[in-house]
Amino acid sequence: MSAIVLTRDPAHFTARFTAMASPCEVLIDTTDATLARRIAGAVGDCAWRIEKKFSRYRDDSVVQKINTTAGEAIEVDNETANLLDFAATLTTLSEGGFDITSGVLRRAWTFDGSDRVPTQADIDALLPSIGWQKVRWQRPILQLQRGMQIDFGGIGKEYAVDSACTRAEEIASDTSVLVNFGGDVAVRHPRRDGEPWRVGIEHAERTGLPARLVNLLRGAIATSGDARRFLLKDGRRYSHILDARTGWPVEGAPRSITVVADTCTQAGTITTLAMLQGANATVFLREAGVQFWVQ
Amino acid sequence: MSSNSLQSKLAAATCALLGTAATQPASASDADAWSFDSSVLYYGESDDRVQDISAAVAAKRDFGDERSLSLSLTADTLTGASASGAIALDRVQTFTSPSGKATYSTPARDVPLDDTFHDTRFALTAAWTQPLARLYTVSAGLGFSTEYDYRHLGANLSLARDFNKRNTTLSLGLAYSQDDIDPVGGAPVPLSQMLDVGDGSNKLGSDSKTVLDLLVGFTQVLGRNTVLRVNYSYSDSSGYLNDPYKILSVVDPATGDTIARVPAAGLAGSSGVYLFESRPDARTKQSVYAEVKHAFGKPVLRGAYRFMTDDWGIDSSTLETSLRWPVGASSYIEPQLRYYTQSAADFYRASLVSSQPLPQYASADFRLGEFDATTLGVKFGHRTGGGNEWSVRAEYYQQNGSVPGEQIIGHQRNREQYPDLSAVIVQFGYKFGL
Repeated sequence: MSAIVLTRDPAHFTARFTAMASPCEVLIDTTDATLARRIAGAVGDCAWRIEKKFSRYRDDSVVQKINTTAGEAIEVDNETANLLDFAATLTTLSEGGFDITSGVLRRAWTFDGSDRVPTQADIDALLPSIGWQKVRWQRPILQLQRGMQIDFGGIGKEYAVDSACTRAEEIASDTSVLVNFGGDVAVRHPRRDGEPWRVGIEHAERTGLPARLVNLLRGAIATSGDARRFLLKDGRRYSHILDARTGWPVEGAPRSITVVADTCTQAGTITTLAMLQGANATVFLREAGVQFWVQ
Repeated sequence: MSSNSLQSKLAAATCALLGTAATQPASASDADAWSFDSSVLYYGESDDRVQDISAAVAAKRDFGDERSLSLSLTADTLTGASASGAIALDRVQTFTSPSGKATYSTPARDVPLDDTFHDTRFALTAAWTQPLARLYTVSAGLGFSTEYDYRHLGANLSLARDFNKRNTTLSLGLAYSQDDIDPVGGAPVPLSQMLDVGDGSNKLGSDSKTVLDLLVGFTQVLGRNTVLRVNYSYSDSSGYLNDPYKILSVVDPATGDTIARVPAAGLAGSSGVYLFESRPDARTKQSVYAEVKHAFGKPVLRGAYRFMTDDWGIDSSTLETSLRWPVGASSYIEPQLRYYTQSAADFYRASLVSSQPLPQYASADFRLGEFDATTLGVKFGHRTGGGNEWSVRAEYYQQNGSVPGEQIIGHQRNREQYPDLSAVIVQFGYKFGL
């Protein structure tokens, strides 16, 4: 767990820390240092709690416990059950393209900018362990088939942003708090002076540089992109967005999709669903009726 | 799946996940498409010499992906008088005005100024910048300006490339301009005499010059708080490089006084022998500029040095420093200091001696003489809650020049040869977005 660094800016406080392998930032529209410290602490605790509970890398996490059941049924707590229900809805909405059991594909795919593209045989060996329809889920009892695993990649960070906003709202119900976990952003209340927060959307190719600035009064912005995570072989770029049905990367998707929605979870989900549409991503976003930018 | 169906299913699922009632609808928009930087500047020289009021507005439209369009418009109004190049005398001097239609006089012992000097200038520039390939940025621009006796047309192109995780930037720039000069009363024949009113026999029509500039720039990030910038530039001008209104006094080798002249019978005209200046028709300048910026926490210290040398024999050095110091949460104060010094052009002459052969090139323009100048200034800036910024800058400029001792002859020793100049500069700026 890292420390929170709180700095005072002209009209607000900024808190920075690291969680979920991402730089996290909290902008608090107050001049009250005590309040800022309380909100920053609560937001940090919320991020670290969710990271600890749902990380697939930690031996003591709920996800790790589920993944080591070796086919046995397990009873999960309410929060985990809510996430599983949400993931199941997402699998339905994406017609199987999104699936929380598809994480095993990482054994074949490492998106490190190299040209190490797996063979069809590598992928075929993994496909039997993928598919939510093979899972028995009767809230609160979950039973995976032997060899199957789940992870909440693609939902967890956005869920953490919204949860952190709820925590901040509980402490100061009308203070404008902008929560930014690695580029997924949400704010529930406008600032005191009525001015929007200015959110930079990272450039798809040049990491660290904003491609565009967005004025955000209230709501959430999520971005999905492959700035650093891709493979390149024989002039072909393989995006890190994998279709759970085939085990292969989606083709023709934009480098980066940014969506505005009421909550970060909704915004993040729509970027994921759009990415899975590949070359039809823009058409999908237009039909979904959301505010979006693609790069 | 229809959009309503997707959106409503997602909203319901999110509501169940987060355990909260629906939050208020999102409100987001593209940040300022246009940003503006506007300013009004007053420049006033002491003793009622040149005064300039200038208004400028620069607009930038950001198209995302680092593509942008920049436009600027400047309007200038110049009034007052500037030194003509003639030396002071113990008697009243009369000059034929540049238009050749009238005369004006300078009192005894005063440095002659040409007070017919006034002008309005408009300048317009446009530039487009965009990335090219992965690490390159290209920028192309056009410029146009016009005043009553001058028209400028320019084009420029620059290319920058980032290296070393964007810690190093190398840039190359090229600019070309074509300027047309149409002096009031016509461009005088170099080293021809100032004639009587109505006699335009030594005046030619308009003329022109071209300028080619090359720039190589290097920017290096030196750690978290320090940036170094080094530029080399090469500039080549050719064509009409004279100032058509500048003259030299022709003086007696013993007394140092201007040779008297009597206008033709019944005509008004100059009371002495004055020749129009003559400069070479080509000039090559090279300069090196180095700048270091260092942040000590919030305060930022800047130091810069420029060395320029040209084939007219002028070498100049400029030393500049400024310190931006934060005041409160959203303001800053920035003291600035600049020192400039230059050597004289090889053909600079305070006057021409009647007994000596006429040189090929000669100018008594003080700007080509030896001088140094100190500018002391302070700027105050404030950022408003809405993200706009206004600033006020005030500067005091003091210039001191000298004429080589061997060029001062006879009575000239008792008179001021190179008048000092001081000026006040006040600028108000406002930056905002729309």
